[in-house]
Amino acid sequence: MTLQTTALSEDDTAIIARLKRPSFAGIDRVQRRRQFWIAMLFLAPAVILTTFVLLAPILFNVWLSFTKWKKFTGLDQFAGLANYTNLLNNPQFGEASTNAVIWVTASLVLPVGLGLIFALSLRGLPFENTLKTIIFLPRVIAPTSIGVIWFYVYAPKGLLNAGIEAVSGAPVDIGWLYQDNTIMASIVVTYLWQNVGLVMVLLLLGLAAIPKDPIEAARMDGATPWQVFVHIVLPLLLPTLLVVSMLSIIAGFGAFDLLWVMGLGYPGRRTLSLSVYMYFEGFSKGSWAYAAAIAVVLGAITLVVTWAQAWLQVRADGLKG
Amino acid sequence: MKTLLSRAIFGACLGAMSAITAIADEVILTHDKAFYSTFLQAVGDVCGFKEQAYTPPEQFKAFVQSSIASGQTPEMFTWWSGATFRDEMVATGQIAQLDDLWAELIANGSFTAASADPFTVDGHKYALPLAFNKWVMFYNPTLFAKAGITGEPKTWDEMMADADTLKAAGITPFVATNQDGWRGFIWFEEIMIRLSPEKYLGLFDGTTSYSDPVVHQAFQMWSDMYAKGYFSDPRSNQEVVDFAGGGGAMNLMGDWAVGLLTQAGMEVGKTLDAFVVPNVSADTPAGMIYEASPLMISVEAAKNPAVMDAMRCWASDEGATVWANTSGLFMGNLNAPAPNAIVPKINKFSIDNNAALYSRWWEGVPADLQGDSVAAFASFMLNPTMEQADKVIAQVTGLHDAYWAEHK
Repeated sequence: MTLQTTALSEDDTAIIARLKRPSFAGIDRVQRRRQFWIAMLFLAPAVILTTFVLLAPILFNVWLSFTKWKKFTGLDQFAGLANYTNLLNNPQFGEASTNAVIWVTASLVLPVGLGLIFALSLRGLPFENTLKTIIFLPRVIAPTSIGVIWFYVYAPKGLLNAGIEAVSGAPVDIGWLYQDNTIMASIVVTYLWQNVGLVMVLLLLGLAAIPKDPIEAARMDGATPWQVFVHIVLPLLLPTLLVVSMLSIIAGFGAFDLLWVMGLGYPGRRTLSLSVYMYFEGFSKGSWAYAAAIAVVLGAITLVVTWAQAWLQVRADGLKG
Repeated sequence: MKTLLSRAIFGACLGAMSAITAIADEVILTHDKAFYSTFLQAVGDVCGFKEQAYTPPEQFKAFVQSSIASGQTPEMFTWWSGATFRDEMVATGQIAQLDDLWAELIANGSFTAASADPFTVDGHKYALPLAFNKWVMFYNPTLFAKAGITGEPKTWDEMMADADTLKAAGITPFVATNQDGWRGFIWFEEIMIRLSPEKYLGLFDGTTSYSDPVVHQAFQMWSDMYAKGYFSDPRSNQEVVDFAGGGGAMNLMGDWAVGLLTQAGMEVGKTLDAFVVPNVSADTPAGMIYEASPLMISVEAAKNPAVMDAMRCWASDEGATVWANTSGLFMGNLNAPAPNAIVPKINKFSIDNNAALYSRWWEGVPADLQGDSVAAFASFMLNPTMEQADKVIAQVTGLHDAYWAEHK
């Protein structure tokens, strides 16, 4: 391969010479500087907001976690790693962390799985849009209201027990929200009811973006619907699935309202999740520095998960490309 | 057209500014007792404040604590008495001293000097009483009559015998509830003072351990009552509805509940009456649990004459009368009418028997221990076996012993 060069014409040489003159170079610098400050001006609101509303409180919170701040005193006393040591030695933290993992896993797998089933199976059905709207509808209700509604569904004399009684013909007295072995599953079902609609909509958008050609080609080659789904649809849907998963994980770690409202009568409410445990320590007991340490741990876990997702996203995009 | 538009905009701005000024000038009483909202506003209409409820109590606590931490202490608000009042409120330095106001109220004969005791820290008075209540056993005389019970029990054994009679008549003797997640300590504290007031008071300063045999005995008695089917389902979160609807013949509540129960359809003297729970042993001195609810103002708000006027009016004969007539609560003002027939009856018992008053467990124990301990008690109510009781005792003993080892 030979490198082809083209000789500059006289006009080109003259233009380059003019641009190289000191006066033009100065104008360029002035313009660039002006453009820089204009860009800064437009960026300023976002930079200021991010700095003071997001970054500064995070840094402040990290600093708080190293103090002895508790009920209005101790803000000026350095505690070192004491709050973190106490966290690790406190069985309630271990319990809350285990529950958080269970909660996040369930709130990830179930909405994404069911959302995918809905997204795939509703396409082309009669009343498709009506069905989608019905599934999405709970999403527009405030989580606290949903918690209150479902609190009564799960009450010992509530709708669920009455329904089971009607079907089985035997008296049912299950305290769904009072027993260790049923409370988490009950709240997960409510969470699923509330969020599966949003996941379904996001996956529908992902499905709509998949090109039709490879699917049709595969069908012509005799691929079964399952083979089409596994070998073509799923890989192409992977980037969307990763985004949805990341959103579900972040939402799962931050979930508070449903757990707090529905766990009202459950003695172990404070350890239902890390966010609930943090709230209890911070606002009920007034152990603010300790709660700040929980917030740091919670933030770090979420950050690591988000990074992992971003890494997977890049790989998935590479596969797609 | 342009002039008309500009006038309209100007008018709207003026209106908005007036509204904002009006809101800014309004005295706000913040509290966690949504069920008192109507009653509080009735006094507010007379005394010039507006009530604002935050519920449930956990959220209210969070709101007040974060407000104080950020230097925005609510101007007029309610709290709890006892250790939490001293350690979480007065200790912040954000609560105004009301020594002068109390001096006026005592001098004009509206209140006794002793009424200020629950709100006094290091010789200074920091609150007015929202209410001064005693915890009594409400009962339904109609259901008692239906079971063939005449009269109120005078001893613990008589009360248990009445429970047996009610049970045999198909009536649940006692209402149980874990409503709002905080009711776990109610029966525990009542049984403790009926067994040994000294041991009960020792729980407040760590001189009694939860591993004490008296605590174990209290749980044993409580568990036995559950085993005999004396209690309704503790998972219900509708205590008033349950009791007013005949879901139990007796219910242990503060006398602040009279207004709520009559609102729910009960009628004092006919379907609603009350007695003081008898002691287990005749040797135990007469006594009952009290609950004093403080009404406080911030240091900053004390500089506002409108807030001070509202506080003065609250404790005045007029304010106390409206409060008594609407809520059925007694705040301690001696010139206000008795809010209902139950309050003077209980007061008479108190005077006749020289009854001692014991702080509720919630107000008595250090605030750090409240949440975890009450959750443990609630877990016993949901599984009222001695096996669970032993777990609860071990858990609470651990919590309290660790606390007192650090704070002695």
